Amino acid sequence: MSDDGGLGLLLLGPAGAAGLYWMLYRYYRNTDKSHAFERETTVDAKPVTGDHDDHKVDEVKGTRETRIRGDNVSEYRKRVQRIGGDTS
Amino acid sequence: MSNANTPPPLPPSVPPPTGPGSPRDVPPLPGSHGIDPESLPEPIREELLAPDPVAIDTAAEELKDGQNHCPKCGATDIRHKTGSDLLVCLYCRNEWHGQRVEEEFGLGEGIDQLKGTVIASGAQDIAADAESLMSFKCSGCGAEVTVNTENAMTARCHWCRHVFGVNEQVANGAVPDAVLPFHIKKADAVARIRQFVDKRRLFALKAFKEQFTPENVVAVYMPYMIVDGNASVSVAGHGEIETRRYTQGSGKDKKTYYDADVYAIERHVDFTVDDLPLESSGERGNLDTSSNTNNIINTILPFDTKNAVKWNASYLNGVSSEKRDLDVEHLHPRLEDQLLSIARCQVEPSVSRFDRGVRWEQERLDVHGTRWVSMYLPVWLYSFHQPGSNGGMLHYIAVNGRTGETMGSVPVQQWKLLAAAITTGTFLEAIALMIIGSQ
Repeated sequence: MSDDGGLGLLLLGPAGAAGLYWMLYRYYRNTDKSHAFERETTVDAKPVTGDHDDHKVDEVKGTRETRIRGDNVSEYRKRVQRIGGDTS
Repeated sequence: MSNANTPPPLPPSVPPPTGPGSPRDVPPLPGSHGIDPESLPEPIREELLAPDPVAIDTAAEELKDGQNHCPKCGATDIRHKTGSDLLVCLYCRNEWHGQRVEEEFGLGEGIDQLKGTVIASGAQDIAADAESLMSFKCSGCGAEVTVNTENAMTARCHWCRHVFGVNEQVANGAVPDAVLPFHIKKADAVARIRQFVDKRRLFALKAFKEQFTPENVVAVYMPYMIVDGNASVSVAGHGEIETRRYTQGSGKDKKTYYDADVYAIERHVDFTVDDLPLESSGERGNLDTSSNTNNIINTILPFDTKNAVKWNASYLNGVSSEKRDLDVEHLHPRLEDQLLSIARCQVEPSVSRFDRGVRWEQERLDVHGTRWVSMYLPVWLYSFHQPGSNGGMLHYIAVNGRTGETMGSVPVQQWKLLAAAITTGTFLEAIALMIIGSQ
């Protein structure tokens, strides 16, 4: 048995306890819920443009990360640097 | 003259809104728990899998087209009875009151043509000197009657029992443009709250269970700004596409490596939003889940605001209301935040080919036009005060007065929850030790 695997198995208890606590707490208190306005508002969007201008700028070789660092494609509410814009 | 090569100055940074999205995560899909309930002990599983109170899907055909049905026969062949404010059903001749603001003010149309900020009369800025208390001379007997617009819009004359309401728009923000009358009856709201809480009894606070009386639910009209907008958003960032995946080493040293191409990407989307609701009460708009449970009331949005009728205080007879205290200007940062979030959601499908994800780094918002209408929306509210530090916590269970969508915060008995978690942890640990010992 490897040390890594043994340690992982030993962590099963604490991880399971924390996971169950977290899940049940949110189920009772619903602190993670809010109005899902991204899905529930009537949005009439024109076709998204810009996909013809994608250009390759770099290559990554031999990384062990499964996703791009700082992946925020589904985190719609995490604001990033705001540039210019007219907000009449 | 300004130098043509100098970029325009950046606008001052906007403080992060405390509005919707204060839980900064996109809410999970309904019914998802994070842990498969099948793997949990029987009593917990039963609670999790019990049915939720049914909410009417506001995307239902009946509400989607914004049709008003005759309350008597359900027919939609409804005409305005000329010379009065009454509506008449051409099928059963039933007459009733109510003009939909949607047609009255043309709110559903021309969103893509909006320019600048259009503010309906009821959504105008609140005058600093406007009083909450308003006195009227009773038209029945001449007595002076006072209405406290902080929490009520109608009053009964204590001399002659004549009922009257605040119908003219006053500059204190209490009179909105429109109101969405209650559809869900009290008995229905009580049943939904009971069903919601019955799914959450095992670990609920003892005092909460003992004092649970859903019959004490109150009907409240909450103030909202309903916003139509026309905006463009551009986002820029980097995305990665996997080109190769390989493993090196063997046995316990086996590791997976990835090669990927990195692309610079930009997306642009023009869109309109129709009837985005924003809390126009500063207190309700604060969704800090560590100090309040206002996110519960936020969650039962949206309402079928297309069916809202022109303001008439009679709708609020016997129902309490909260007064608006935020102006359009205060709500602008929150609207911009939500427009950006909506745009990010819209562009997501266009970057699906980047299978290792996308890191958005910059975003730009151009708001071409917005239209603001203030509205009272109907909510059934049950509350429980849990004592504690800093004044404790007020837990709400809210039922959408139109769709019946129910959401709530049930206080937990910490020791019970901890005991259940530790028991499960110990059980898992025992299995882990058995596996290690057998090797």
